[in-house]
Amino acid sequence: MKLRGLAFAVLIALGAAGAAGSAQAQTMSYAQAAGLLAQHCGEDIMKVCRGQNLGNGAIYNCLSQNVSRLSPACAANHEGIRQMTEARAAAQLEVHKVCDRDRAQYCPGLVPGDGNIVSCLLEASKVVSQACTSALINAGYNQQ
Amino acid sequence: MKIQMRSVLLLSAALMAPVALAAPASAQAVTSNAQIVQGLQASVADVPNVSAEALRGLAVAHMKYTGPPESRPPLAIQLDQLAQINVEIEFDLNSAMIKPSSYRTLGSIADAMHNPILLGYKFLVVGNTDTTGTREINLKLSQERADAVMQALATTFRVDPRRLQAVGLGEENLQDVKHPQAAINRRVQIFNLGSTGVLAP
Repeated sequence: MKLRGLAFAVLIALGAAGAAGSAQAQTMSYAQAAGLLAQHCGEDIMKVCRGQNLGNGAIYNCLSQNVSRLSPACAANHEGIRQMTEARAAAQLEVHKVCDRDRAQYCPGLVPGDGNIVSCLLEASKVVSQACTSALINAGYNQQ
Repeated sequence: MKIQMRSVLLLSAALMAPVALAAPASAQAVTSNAQIVQGLQASVADVPNVSAEALRGLAVAHMKYTGPPESRPPLAIQLDQLAQINVEIEFDLNSAMIKPSSYRTLGSIADAMHNPILLGYKFLVVGNTDTTGTREINLKLSQERADAVMQALATTFRVDPRRLQAVGLGEENLQDVKHPQAAINRRVQIFNLGSTGVLAP
């Protein structure tokens, strides 16, 4: 239900992303999502949300509050694109929960909050759990 | 193993490079995400102590040099040693609004900051203008623009705000002092400020 606004373009881009990478991530990069937003809503943003910025949800709020003034492509896609960005962010947070046991087991000495944890987990990729591996892929951390 | 980088890396991350955007002729390069990561990789173990606050003080102090840009001394700080990239981010005229044409570039910077290689580091976003307009307005506008970039990274793209600082240097740190109104001076720089240490989750 939540993904109803997700239009074709997003799915196609995600498909391309999945095909290009070695593993099938369920998310897309921030660059891809941001590029799609510019592609579908760039003109709308300059017209309807001029002066506002991407940070703090300002552009998203502006687009949501002015749906009737948006081009069809932007109206149909902006919510889905937002959800792709949120999905990537959630996946990155999720890694630390899903992989916590793997961290304790394979990265002794690294405590939660250490920026080296992800690198350690990737180095231990042959032994970390399947769930952790999937979480690393969805977070985009394996794309080096 | 970490690849050792040369001490100075200046990459022009012209990811989107709209044709109208005059990229610096000397440093033009289509830069991939991997190149941003490479450019921002810490090159020295002992990063000199640089902060947004210290740089802001230097920029304000620099405004006492009232002669033409060519006659002003450079900012008294060693930024060259830091791993850094120059990015082209388009802003609306006289505004801190980032144009949608630069969203993808911002997303790429965020992806780089979330790359495992860079996850343990903190970064400084520096805004610069050319010499069009007054120095005071340029200082203020560049700070607002650097803040806008930092805000987008920290909120929309979830880079931990504890890893980010932003400062606007106005026209006080021109890249090309001989051509003070050249496009090359209107740039956003990102510097690696060294390890974050452990950040409480």
